[in-house]
Amino acid sequence: MFKKLIAESTAKSPWLFHINAGSCNGCDIELVSVLTPRYDAERLGFKLAGSPRHADIVVVTGPVTTQSLPRVLRAISQVPEPRCIVTMGSCPQSGNVFRGSYSVAGPLSKYVHVDVDVAGCAPKPEAVIDGLALATKILKEKREAK
Amino acid sequence: MSIVLSAVQYLGYVLIFPGFLFCFLAGLLLCGIDRKMVAKMQKRVGPPVLQPFYDFFKLCGKETIVPAAASSKTVFLMAPLVGLAALVVLQLFIPIFQFTAFSGMADIIVILYLLLIPALATILGGAASGSPYAGVGLSREMVTIISCELPLVLILLAVGKVVGSASGTGLTFSFSAIMAYQAEHGSLILKASMIPAAVAMLMVIPGETGNHPFDAAEAETEICEGLLAEYSGPPLGVYKLSHAIKMLTLTSLFVALFLGGIGSGIEKLVLLCGLSGAAAGAVTVILGAIVLFLLCVVLTVVCISFAHAVTARLKIEQIFKFYWTAVSGLALISLVLAWYGL
Repeated sequence: MFKKLIAESTAKSPWLFHINAGSCNGCDIELVSVLTPRYDAERLGFKLAGSPRHADIVVVTGPVTTQSLPRVLRAISQVPEPRCIVTMGSCPQSGNVFRGSYSVAGPLSKYVHVDVDVAGCAPKPEAVIDGLALATKILKEKREAK
Repeated sequence: MSIVLSAVQYLGYVLIFPGFLFCFLAGLLLCGIDRKMVAKMQKRVGPPVLQPFYDFFKLCGKETIVPAAASSKTVFLMAPLVGLAALVVLQLFIPIFQFTAFSGMADIIVILYLLLIPALATILGGAASGSPYAGVGLSREMVTIISCELPLVLILLAVGKVVGSASGTGLTFSFSAIMAYQAEHGSLILKASMIPAAVAMLMVIPGETGNHPFDAAEAETEICEGLLAEYSGPPLGVYKLSHAIKMLTLTSLFVALFLGGIGSGIEKLVLLCGLSGAAAGAVTVILGAIVLFLLCVVLTVVCISFAHAVTARLKIEQIFKFYWTAVSGLALISLVLAWYGL
């Protein structure tokens, strides 16, 4: 019963850690707008955590530049299990307009397992909330599988 | 036989009623109501009231990471538990109107010392984590403690003086004397000389709990949650729980110091219902606990949620200045008035 309680709670209390991997700032602003009164993702328990150690979901924005890649991987490895990785915007998914640039190391899925991709440039807040809600389901499954 | 019975009774006090279980449920519920109220004040829907429970149980199921730079694994993992234990003990000593789990064993001085332990435990744990963010948070937390301590001591002195001069002892630090005085003369907040102290106490509460706008020590946007930066999983959950219980403890301390007169009203109500003996005692305690919790909710909304919703985070020197001038000044006015017998 206690295990079930923890699994239920895991789906209801996802804390986000946001990593900017060379983003143009567009997605960063859209992610913050998700927490504003208009969309209010805190309804679903979402909270921006200050430290990767507190997070359940890592949100990566930007095309993952060669400079940011080691830092991104290090920050992701500091997030305790069970964790979910969500890419936000087209950049970490495909490279977007930066694809093929000498300074871009992405896409992110070449280096770590990505659970949810939210495409768009920048994605609408509704799409972001939808992607994060999907990530909470995956988190719950990961917790139950433990 | 009676020793066994009283042992069971005390165990019940520590683990269930004013102790751990009550603190756990009431504290987290209070924290949830606070988050909901802040959301309402910002025109958001807000998280469910049970959100802190979800947060706590989720953290129980997460991995615990001890950083490689941690100087002492034992201190790092034990510090949250020490803080939590101190808070539960503190709650045992704060009277719920006429009822105290351990009456006559502790007075206000003990409360002052016990209030320091959770903050010191966070400092120890943060220092043991070896994180530079925790280092910054640590120095800020120390300044916050020093800032809050002076006005709190002045408030307690003012209350002690009023109660002490009424009973002819000069200055009293005994909780039972304070409760007895309020049962006889009505709540202390009704005395004109105590109003500045009560206002000062309302301002001390968010500082002691480390809530907005006095959360420079745990500023998540600038120093990665400061002292808690390296904590994850169950230890972090215990810290979150301690924070919630601290809100309950401080608001119930306010009720005990300034609104204790309500207790005699509850007793009269129980007598009016025609109860007597052990049943009346039990009903009084249960009613008292419910009334106490409702008062705690009101106080939390007034001094924690409202302050959170309307203010931005203060810098650490602003916190220090605010407490040592405005708040201490208010408490000092009460103390001087009390000294002249008003």
